[in-house]
Amino acid sequence: MDILARAYLPRIAGLALASASFLAVTAAEAKEITIWCWDPNFNVAIMKEAGARYTKKHADVTFNVVDFAKTDVEQKLQTGLASGTADALPDIVLIEDYGAQKYLQSFPGAFAPLSGTVDYSGFAPYKVEVMTLDGQVYGMPFDSGVTGLYYRKDYLEQAGFKPEDMQNLTWDRFIEIGRQVETKTGKKMMGLDPNDAGLVRIMMQSAGQWYFDKEGKTNITGNAALKAALETVGKIMQADIYKAANGWSDWVGTFTSGDVATVMAGVWITGTVKAQPDQAGKWGVAPIPTLGIEGATHASNLGGSSWYVLESSAEKAEAIDFLNEIYAKDIDFYQKILQERGAVGSLLAARGGAAYEAADPFFGGEKVWQNFSDWLAKVPSVNYGVFTNEADLAVTAQLPALTQGMPVDEALKAIESEISGQIQ
Amino acid sequence: MNTSVTRNASAVFTYGFLGLMAFLSVFPFIWMVLGATNSSIDIIKGNLLPGEALATNVGNFFTLVNVPLVFWNSAKVTILATVLTLAVSSLAGYGFEMFRSRQRERVYRVMLLTLMIPFAALMIPLFIMMGKSGLINTHLAVVLPSIGSAFVIFYFRQSTKAFPSELRDAAKVDGLKEWQIFLFIYVPVMRSTYAAAFIIVFMTAWNNYLWPLIVLQSNETKTITLVISSLASAYYPDYGVVMVGTILATLPTLAVFFFMQRQFVQGMLGSVK
Amino acid sequence: MAHARRGGIGRYYDVNGWLFVAPALGLIALFMIYPILWSLWMSFQSGRGMMMKFAGFANIVRLWNDPVFIKALTNTMTYFVVQVPIMILLALILASLLNNPRLVGRGLFRTAIFLPCVTSLVAYSVLFKGMFAPDGIVNSTLQAIGIIASPIPWLTNAFWAKTLVIIAITWRWTGYNMIFYLAALQNIDKSIYEVARIDGVPAWARFTHITIPLLKPVILFTTVISTIGTLQLFDEVYNLTEGKGGPSNATLTLSLYIYNLTFRFMPNFGYAATVSYVIVVLVALLAFVQFFAARERDR
Repeated sequence: MDILARAYLPRIAGLALASASFLAVTAAEAKEITIWCWDPNFNVAIMKEAGARYTKKHADVTFNVVDFAKTDVEQKLQTGLASGTADALPDIVLIEDYGAQKYLQSFPGAFAPLSGTVDYSGFAPYKVEVMTLDGQVYGMPFDSGVTGLYYRKDYLEQAGFKPEDMQNLTWDRFIEIGRQVETKTGKKMMGLDPNDAGLVRIMMQSAGQWYFDKEGKTNITGNAALKAALETVGKIMQADIYKAANGWSDWVGTFTSGDVATVMAGVWITGTVKAQPDQAGKWGVAPIPTLGIEGATHASNLGGSSWYVLESSAEKAEAIDFLNEIYAKDIDFYQKILQERGAVGSLLAARGGAAYEAADPFFGGEKVWQNFSDWLAKVPSVNYGVFTNEADLAVTAQLPALTQGMPVDEALKAIESEISGQIQ
Repeated sequence: MNTSVTRNASAVFTYGFLGLMAFLSVFPFIWMVLGATNSSIDIIKGNLLPGEALATNVGNFFTLVNVPLVFWNSAKVTILATVLTLAVSSLAGYGFEMFRSRQRERVYRVMLLTLMIPFAALMIPLFIMMGKSGLINTHLAVVLPSIGSAFVIFYFRQSTKAFPSELRDAAKVDGLKEWQIFLFIYVPVMRSTYAAAFIIVFMTAWNNYLWPLIVLQSNETKTITLVISSLASAYYPDYGVVMVGTILATLPTLAVFFFMQRQFVQGMLGSVK
Repeated sequence: MAHARRGGIGRYYDVNGWLFVAPALGLIALFMIYPILWSLWMSFQSGRGMMMKFAGFANIVRLWNDPVFIKALTNTMTYFVVQVPIMILLALILASLLNNPRLVGRGLFRTAIFLPCVTSLVAYSVLFKGMFAPDGIVNSTLQAIGIIASPIPWLTNAFWAKTLVIIAITWRWTGYNMIFYLAALQNIDKSIYEVARIDGVPAWARFTHITIPLLKPVILFTTVISTIGTLQLFDEVYNLTEGKGGPSNATLTLSLYIYNLTFRFMPNFGYAATVSYVIVVLVALLAFVQFFAARERDR
């Protein structure tokens, strides 16, 4: 063997080896899908479960579920999209329904359309509508924010009310019950954060209206549902049947500590309600009260969110396939996340599953999931538009004045003028 | 007689007032420590007695948070930022004061104007710059924009006014080059100024919130401040765990302050002379 | 050696001068000047997210018709007008009390009052939010000692929410300012005070006629620094009010509004940049006024 061979052979061998291992690597290359979401007990845990299910069938795909505070997720997403740098963004991101159109319209081309892949006819229509822009559907519908009235059976019984009395309420009746609960038990009827327009939104949507009409134009001064909602919130505040809360955690504290008799929120709050084992058996769930106006229903929505795939994602194909396989097809998955996490998905076929029939001992054996599922079908569909956050702030700005007896029409005018100053 | 009464009255006022202010200043710390021993609900309800949940809270904190990694990240960012800021700013402070020229005075004044720029105005452009240079999600991106600090340069320049120029003249006679004078004479002489600046920069870097929040994208790069904020704004915040977090996040800055308190005040003296 | 001379020695002097300041200037130019000019360019544009187009002075016109901006501006100015004087005065009083060498426990008091400065803005905001919760320790203590009959709605009432923000900032920053004054007081000849005391000048007069005039340069310096800090107020309000600046925008600051315009609302970077320039202009104006006032009084 001469010098030449001695010099070159290892190199050639090395090259062959390298290319062989390169091939091997591509074949089994682990593709990692990064996902941003915000609630460790809810959507984070659920996404981890979904990922585990997918990895079982596709060993080459792994998941990195990153958990930030919700405001942080929104802020990072917005900064990332604004900077136009793809490497700052995940492959899949969770977006709350209220904000979906804002992102879709502000950053065209940033999200991958899933219209060709996903069969959207299987989902609750209002969820699909939220993620549609110019005939294309983006995103994978996830949880529903269908609302319910959670109430403490023990407190209400003390005040002389049975579970039957909590069905088919009007808001006026609700306030009346609240007064009696306070005189009999000393407990407030509900927690209320005056900086949060959530309650107004629940009422407004229950009567099929929103801050914006179907065309996206502001719908404030002529909005009968908003007017009735503001009147009702004003009455609740004047009747003083609420415990004031500052911010989300404080509001959660009002019922976890047993200080209030009812909670009005989306079904995703179930996990938090059930997190107090000493309150087991004391809770019941009824449909929310109705506004006394035309088109008013007992069903509404608060929050709820969906998954979106970033167009810039390196693993776009896998990410879409993953969402489609688990969230659009896996009925068993939906049973599991319902039982373990209280997640009511928006895949209609999942509602036939056994978990939805199950009675929940925490709620004294009520079939709460079946109820939520029924109410979900009745949630009026509205157009959230792109300025919900702005409108929310305009509404909360008027709440204190409303409590002090400002006429509702004046409040509506003030809200309208603040919103029109904001949306230019 | 009369004067002793006024003197006593003023002593009562002095000690009473200082005692009250000291108590108000320290109370949140006491509350934080007590909080760490209580369950979340007891904290919200304003319980002031030591509870029994300390072990649970600490345990929960360590399961929820990768503590060594988070601390390593914070330490890395802080030390990098502090060392670089001190080096760059002391050079500049020395340069502006020792080598005066009309042009540099003008530049200096423009530089001081940057103190007025709110960070909010820089956020988006800075982020785009970091994105284009591929630095997103790196600790370098956290550190870079903070190194050139007009405030710290101003501080060093003010302190340099007290630097005895005879030392410099003597060194020159001995044939030392400018960089040698800086490194071997200025730096050792100005130890207390460095110590004070160290404390200020260290604390700012350790506690930095908004910018790391924007550039650090993954759990692997998060710092302790980000962790506390996200624990406190979680869907179901566990205040006991949050308290443990705030204690751990405050300990390093507290330690630095206590170990370097003397230098701190000495350094401050230099800045206002 | 006020300015460089011509010839070899002058050039040597000049080159060295630039070399020493170059790294800092380079970094400041890259990470402050360049981005702020970029922001200026953005402030003449408007649009949703990345779809921006040239808008001329439309953003400036919009400022005047935007009630939320006016509110944020008024709030920020309120904080500035109320909080900065309270804090500076408090820090001055504390510093002059602590300057007495015969005071027992001086070091202890000084350390205790400075302690808040070591907390991060996030940590102390979280602490304050808990302490000032409706049933929190502050309300229950005040009720227990009979100062108030029912809980103060700290963060759900416009007036109290502003008050809380002011209490919080004052707690965090008074000790910081105090250290500056203490340091400066060390340089004042103690005999001035002795003479004044023997002459029967009362404590308050010593404070207003000796301490304050002698500390004027430091007071000016801390006032400017506090002004800048207050006008850029963000972390505290953000963490106390869950980023909303509530109730009904009562605590909203300019920086928080910029944040909202950028990250919470339909993103309009152009308009956000315009609002950020309002802060730049305000800080510049106020700094000039303060320097001017100080100079006038010197005469």
